[in-house]
Amino acid sequence: MKKSIGFALVVLVTAALAASAQGSPKVVVSALSSQAVSCKSTITLPLVTPVTGGAGFLGAEQGAWAKYAVTSLAKPLGLKIKFVLGDTPVEQGPAPAQTLAQKYIADKSVLVLLGPSTSGAVAASSSAYFQAKMAHISPSATRTDLTQGSTREATSAFFRDVPGDYIQGPTDANYMINKLHVKKVVLLDFQEPYSVGLADAVQAVLNKAGVSTTRLTASNTTTDYSALVTKVPSDADVVFFPTQKPPDAQTFAQQLLEQGKKAKVFGGDGSNDPSQFKATGSYVSNFAPDITGVTSDKGIIAGWKKANPGKAVGSFGPPSYGAAQIALNAIHLACLQGHGTATRQTVLRNIKKVKIKNWILGGSFKWSTKTNDPLNAKFYIFQIQSDGSYKLVG
Amino acid sequence: MDQFIQLSIDALTLGSVYALIALGYTLVYGVLKLLNFAHGDVFMVGSFIGFGVLQLLGGTSNPVVPIWALLTLVTLAAMAGCAALGVVIERFAYRPLRDAPRIAPLISALGVSFFLANSMQLLFGATPRNYDTFELSNGALYLRGIDIGNVRLPLLRIITISVAFVMMVLLWFLVNRTRTGKAMRATSFDREAAAMMGIDIDRVIVFTFVLGSALAGAAGVMFALRVPTQVSIGFVAGLKGFTAAVIGGIGSIPGAMAGGLILGFAEAYSQGYISTKWSDLIVFSIMIAFMIFRPQGLLGRADIRKV
Repeated sequence: MKKSIGFALVVLVTAALAASAQGSPKVVVSALSSQAVSCKSTITLPLVTPVTGGAGFLGAEQGAWAKYAVTSLAKPLGLKIKFVLGDTPVEQGPAPAQTLAQKYIADKSVLVLLGPSTSGAVAASSSAYFQAKMAHISPSATRTDLTQGSTREATSAFFRDVPGDYIQGPTDANYMINKLHVKKVVLLDFQEPYSVGLADAVQAVLNKAGVSTTRLTASNTTTDYSALVTKVPSDADVVFFPTQKPPDAQTFAQQLLEQGKKAKVFGGDGSNDPSQFKATGSYVSNFAPDITGVTSDKGIIAGWKKANPGKAVGSFGPPSYGAAQIALNAIHLACLQGHGTATRQTVLRNIKKVKIKNWILGGSFKWSTKTNDPLNAKFYIFQIQSDGSYKLVG
Repeated sequence: MDQFIQLSIDALTLGSVYALIALGYTLVYGVLKLLNFAHGDVFMVGSFIGFGVLQLLGGTSNPVVPIWALLTLVTLAAMAGCAALGVVIERFAYRPLRDAPRIAPLISALGVSFFLANSMQLLFGATPRNYDTFELSNGALYLRGIDIGNVRLPLLRIITISVAFVMMVLLWFLVNRTRTGKAMRATSFDREAAAMMGIDIDRVIVFTFVLGSALAGAAGVMFALRVPTQVSIGFVAGLKGFTAAVIGGIGSIPGAMAGGLILGFAEAYSQGYISTKWSDLIVFSIMIAFMIFRPQGLLGRADIRKV
C-alpha cells in the first residue's frame, strides 16, 4: 500500500512539475518586433484574461466588450482584426500568463495585446512583452507598483486604461473614514499582488487617520472563510476584502452574519459583480461608473446589447472596449506612418499618442505624461441594495 | 472559548464533508486497490447536479416545495447522478484495465479527472454556482440554530453534519451487516478466492463505485450548500479526501471517517489559531508524518507480505 501511495504521489508531483515547467519564463526574443506586417492582412488581437476559474466572469465580460469593440471599430479604421482570448485562471498563479506571452510573441500577426487583466499576470509577463517590444494594455490590472515606485513590476511596454490602486486605496479608505466613520477595520489579503497592494494602500491611509486595523491573510484557493471569520472582532465596523472572486465576497458576508458579526464587507474592484456579490449593505469600489448613465454611450450600449442578448452591462467590460479602442487606434496610426505596414515597435510608440474624445467611461481619454496610466481617472464606490443592485454612493 | 467552540463547529462541518469524500476513495481502494483520482471531480459534478435540480425546483428564492423536501431532493438527485457517473467511469475507464499493470488505471483515473473537469467547463462555463441558501426563509438556515454559549450552531451546519454522520453509519451497517457488504469485504480480501466462492466480482465492483460516487454526490451538495461551487473545486477536494483516506488508513471505512475529521480539525484550528496561509502546509505535513511513521494510517492494517 505504501508503495502504491508513494507511486501515486510521484505521478502527482511529476504532473504538477510538468505543468509549472510550461510556464517557466523562457523569453523568446526574436526579430519579430521589427518585422513589418501588412495592414491589409489579418492582425490578431488577443485579450489575456481569466476565462476559467473563480474569476472567469471577468474574462466573459471583458471578452464580450473587447470583441464588440473589434467588431464595431476595426472596419472604419480599415483594419482586419481577429480577436482571440487567452486564459489565465487566477488559481494557477503567474504560469499561464508567461506561457501565453511566449505564444503571442511567437505569432507575427500579433502587434499589440490586451491585458493581462490581473496584476499578478501583468507582473509575470511584462518583461517578455517588453523584450519583444510589444505593447500590452490592461483594462483592469490596478496594482500601484505596476507603473509607479522604485520597485516597478511592469515595464514601459505596459499600459492600463484604468487608474491604479494608488487612487483606489485612498478612495476606499477615505470613504470608510469620512462617510462610514469607522473605528476598527479588518483587512484581508490573498497572498497575491493585487490584494496585497490594495490592502496595503487602504491600511496606510486608515492608520494615518488613527483607525485601528487588523490584517489577516488567506490563501488564494480558500473557499470557506468560516475559520477566518472567527478572527474578526465583534466590534469591527468593516472588513476590507479585496478578492478577485466575487462569490467569495458573498460567502464571507454570509459567514459574518452566520457568526453574528456586524461588520460590513467592503470589496475592491475585483469583487464588483452584481450577479455574484449581492450581500445587502456591503460596499464595492470600481474604476468605472455605471456607463448606462453616460449619454454619449447610448449607441455603444444598444449595439453591445444587440450583440450580447440577455446580458447585463457590468463595470468590468467597458474598460476592455476602451483598451481595444486604444489598441486599434495605435495600429491605425502605425499603419499611416508605415505607409500600409506596421511593426510591434511602431504600434508601441503610438500607444501614448492615442487620445479619445468620447471615452466610454465618460469625458475624454488622455494618457498621463508621467506614467502609462490614464490622466485624471478616478474610482467610484457603490453600496449593494436589498434587491442586489449597486447604487453609486461615492 | 467562543472561538474554540466556533472553530470546532467549523471543523466538524469541514471534517464531515472530507470524510464523505474519503469514504469513496477508501471503498474503491479497498475493493480494487485503485486510487481513483477522478473521485474529486465526481464530487464537483455532484455539486453541479444539485445546483441544476435546485434551479428546476424554483431555486432558493422561489422554491416550489418545502425547504426540507428541497434539500432532500437536491441531495438524492446528486447522489443518483453521481452513482450513474460512477458506473460509467468504472465500465469505460477502469474495467478494461483491471488486469493491466497498476500504472494504467492510475493514469486512466487522472485522465477521467481532466475529462470531467474540462467537459463540465465546456458545458457549463467557469462561472461559480451559488446555491444561495441564505435566501431560503430570509437566512433562517444561517441565523437560526442551537446556541452554545455565545456561539450559534446554525441549522445549515446541523444539517450538513447530521447528513454526513447518518450516511457514515448507514455505510458502516451496509458493509458490516449485510450480504452485499460481506461480498465487498470478501472481494477486498481476495478477489480470486471470492470469485471462486460464487461472488459476482463485477457486480460488487460496480456496486462499490455506485456507493462511493453517491457519497461524493452527497458531499458535493453538503459543500455547495454553504460555499459557491465551480469546476476547479474537484481537484482540491479530491486531494483533501485522498489525504483524509491516507491519514485514516486507506481501505478502512472507520479510518476514512476518522481521517476526514482529523483533517477538518487540523484545518480549522490551524486557520483559526495559526494562519490560513499555513493551514494547507500543516494539513499535508500531517499526511507526510503518517506516511513516515505510520504508513498504514490510523486504523489501516499493516501490509504484511509472505516472503
